[in-house]
Amino acid sequence: MSNKREREKRREERLREEQKATGPGEQRKKLLQIAAGAVFLAVVVVVVLIIANSGGDEEGGDATSIGDVQVVEKLLNGIPQEELVLGDPSAKVELIEYGDLQCPVCKQFAEETLPPVIEKQVRAGEVKVVFRNFPIIGPQSAPAGAAALAAGEQGKGWQFLDLFFHNQGAENSGYADDEFLTAIAEAAGVPDIAKWNKARKSEELEIEVEETNEEAERLGLTGTPSLAIKGPGTNGTELTTAPASSDGLEELVERAAG
Amino acid sequence: MKIPSEATLRRLIAFFATLGIGVATYITIVESGGGAPACLAGGGGCHTVAESSYSHIAGINIAIFGIVGYVGIFLTAFFVSDWARLAGFGIALGGFGFSIYLTYLEIWVIDAICQWCVGSAVLMTILFALNAARLIGYAGTSPGPDGGVAEEMTPGEGETGAEPA
Repeated sequence: MSNKREREKRREERLREEQKATGPGEQRKKLLQIAAGAVFLAVVVVVVLIIANSGGDEEGGDATSIGDVQVVEKLLNGIPQEELVLGDPSAKVELIEYGDLQCPVCKQFAEETLPPVIEKQVRAGEVKVVFRNFPIIGPQSAPAGAAALAAGEQGKGWQFLDLFFHNQGAENSGYADDEFLTAIAEAAGVPDIAKWNKARKSEELEIEVEETNEEAERLGLTGTPSLAIKGPGTNGTELTTAPASSDGLEELVERAAG
Repeated sequence: MKIPSEATLRRLIAFFATLGIGVATYITIVESGGGAPACLAGGGGCHTVAESSYSHIAGINIAIFGIVGYVGIFLTAFFVSDWARLAGFGIALGGFGFSIYLTYLEIWVIDAICQWCVGSAVLMTILFALNAARLIGYAGTSPGPDGGVAEEMTPGEGETGAEPA
């Protein structure tokens, strides 16, 4: 036993000697310096990332610069709309979108998936698109939805929806305030801003948002955008998730047309 | 405060990294099975976080970065060398910093908390502490005569090794 212990002790001593000879202190110092440098770098990167995100105005959500007004106007120009229904009211296919104005996937749907269908099938009177509020993202979602309904009362509902999506800010960053909503309404060309302002805060529209929200929940929808489609080619109203491409959406509409 | 033996630290690092691999893999699988993209309702913090624009970097699910990081840390626990100590510390530091950033996003930007993401952040914090202890306690200590072999673990200065049988 004692032999073994002595051997262990000698080995440890030998190691210490070796370390002294090869300068482990130097090596250790170097390593800890690298580590300290890495910590400093990590702190800087995290702080920069957080600052870069806290502005929330690097893309969208800025009431002072509402963009894409012409793009939206060009897309919707000449297409009949009433409240939040876009297209010929007697169109044989009805496409309902349950959406949240703050939802980034709805933004993508509004900017990329839906426009080709609006340009072709909605413009041709084959389909009408209905937007129904399903406010799930945060506290500013329902008031934004009511503001869209109020713009719809003045015939600019879809301009409001599309401009909101085109100028959407980061989720729940607080950008969708009165100032932002007013800037969107003005850019959408809502004729009577005072009337719109009163309407969007009315109990009537608040209830309407609540009703479409309850309807979506009753249908068992779990996210936005969710679609419901009805036409000669469907079995009543069919529920579906939003196709990832406009080709998929066009096919869906064609199938519903029978 | 006394730093545990390097062998203990390495075992703990391997253990927590394994848990981390499990959590990150779970998040990756759950997220990729979501079907069509949507913003999900129902107070499911994880779904809100997973479907937010922050869940992917350059089209890659951030949970995959998590798996890579945990695997990297796991591997460093099997080597005894300054290289492994520094690599483990570096990866854990990156993961820890990234976790701070993601937790910030969850609380202040996305406004939703995902318990699995919080779990991963906690694991990364523990791994960062363990790897920092390993580096500070054992940097510059020799791994043994033939260098870097796991069996040749040596206790740090002032440490007493396990009693010989």
